[in-house]
Amino acid sequence: MASSNGLDSFTQYPLELDPTTKAITLSPDSEQNEVINAELKSLNLLHRALVGLERPNVPPPPLPINPKRSAQITKLRDTANTAYRKSNYPEAIKLYGYAIEMAITRPAWEPLSLVREELSGLYANRAQAHMAQRTWPDGWVDSKCSIECKNAGNAKGWWRGGKCLVEMGRWEEARSWVQRGLEAEDKSGDGAKELVSLMAEIEKGLKRQG
Amino acid sequence: MVDWLGLAVPFAYLGILIGSLATFSSLYRKRKAAKASTLTPWFPFHLQRDIYFSLLHLEPSTSSSSKEKKSPAVPETVLKAALLRRATEAIDRVMVIREQKQALALLLQRGSVGDDLWQRFLRAEKEMEDEFRDVVSEANSYVPSWGHTIFQSAKEMATNSTFRQRIEEHQSTLTEEREWWNRKKASIQEGFMKELEQEGTRGGSNTKNSSSATTAGQSTEAPAVPSPTNGSDDDAVLVESGGPAVVGTSTSGGGKKKKKGKK
Repeated sequence: MASSNGLDSFTQYPLELDPTTKAITLSPDSEQNEVINAELKSLNLLHRALVGLERPNVPPPPLPINPKRSAQITKLRDTANTAYRKSNYPEAIKLYGYAIEMAITRPAWEPLSLVREELSGLYANRAQAHMAQRTWPDGWVDSKCSIECKNAGNAKGWWRGGKCLVEMGRWEEARSWVQRGLEAEDKSGDGAKELVSLMAEIEKGLKRQG
Repeated sequence: MVDWLGLAVPFAYLGILIGSLATFSSLYRKRKAAKASTLTPWFPFHLQRDIYFSLLHLEPSTSSSSKEKKSPAVPETVLKAALLRRATEAIDRVMVIREQKQALALLLQRGSVGDDLWQRFLRAEKEMEDEFRDVVSEANSYVPSWGHTIFQSAKEMATNSTFRQRIEEHQSTLTEEREWWNRKKASIQEGFMKELEQEGTRGGSNTKNSSSATTAGQSTEAPAVPSPTNGSDDDAVLVESGGPAVVGTSTSGGGKKKKKGKK
């Protein structure tokens, strides 16, 4: 009897519903709680996402995916790529930023693998645009994100991150980073070869340094 | 007659034995149950679940006070969202339980952890099973067959949110990295300028002509080493103005002070 206590009871929170926005908040005259407020914030976000759906307002199963957003992202990426090719780097960075924004704000119930796939390419490309502008820290952070999305089969991401570290003179970090990249990548690919040559450069740099 | 009396003794013996065993067992079980109920639960509290139920119970109070009765105070979409949040939390907890189960069983076998901990764990596991069933039936009550997919969606949501957190963490280091790089760039430039001025003064002690030649030569080289971003413009100006020996020493002094301050 007592042991099922956790399932039969619950803690009632003094919640309030905003009649126009339908947002749920803790009643202002009650004790405020950080954790609850944070949870209610994410609840309201999710609610807004649900309202945007068609009836019956429940998330569809993860597959198949709504192709609209994917198409938009692809379009943005293509314009960004052309901007990059025309050496209009700030424009390319801005457009990649939009595409990233769009991909990362995908409804949370859509498959993560898709988000990872899209974002890894976008971050890697933005890293390249940053590198072309010689803003190494930005390039480094974007490379890290790209690798976070997809660490195998992403030699470009590894290489760009390593290159940014080299340019900033962080040899030790660069070495461990490229080492990790070499472990993750297929040895026979072209990307791996480039990583190996970058590694040689790093070793040289380390020797020069001390 | 004598037989009955003789039989009473073993019966009495059996009766006392069984009676005492029964009382012991019932007492023991009661105490154990009481102990189990006082054990702290495995997970602190199920906030999402509490919110969901709070919302469900919010309806009557507000509808009686201000809203007309035909439309429920809390729209169904809000309840659905709350249910989804609940399902996501359930998924998180099941992951935690699955992760911990093997390790905990091993520890229990070795006697490294007490029985209490195991009891708490089993209770949490059972609670989670009930929670799953409850969520599925709730989901089906909103939209038939939503119960089949709600946990698929919830699972994606759970993994998505952890992934996004990690990306955010990476992106949040950006300003720090930028600041670091700007500082480093500045220090590289300072070091370079000092070298330059040393050479300049050395050249100046020999002949005036050669000194101006070396500084001129250096100043054209200077912007090539630090990256030609916004900073390099001021740098080029500084180098040019720092050409004459007198101005040069004053700037180099400033540079040294800056460096000391940083360390």
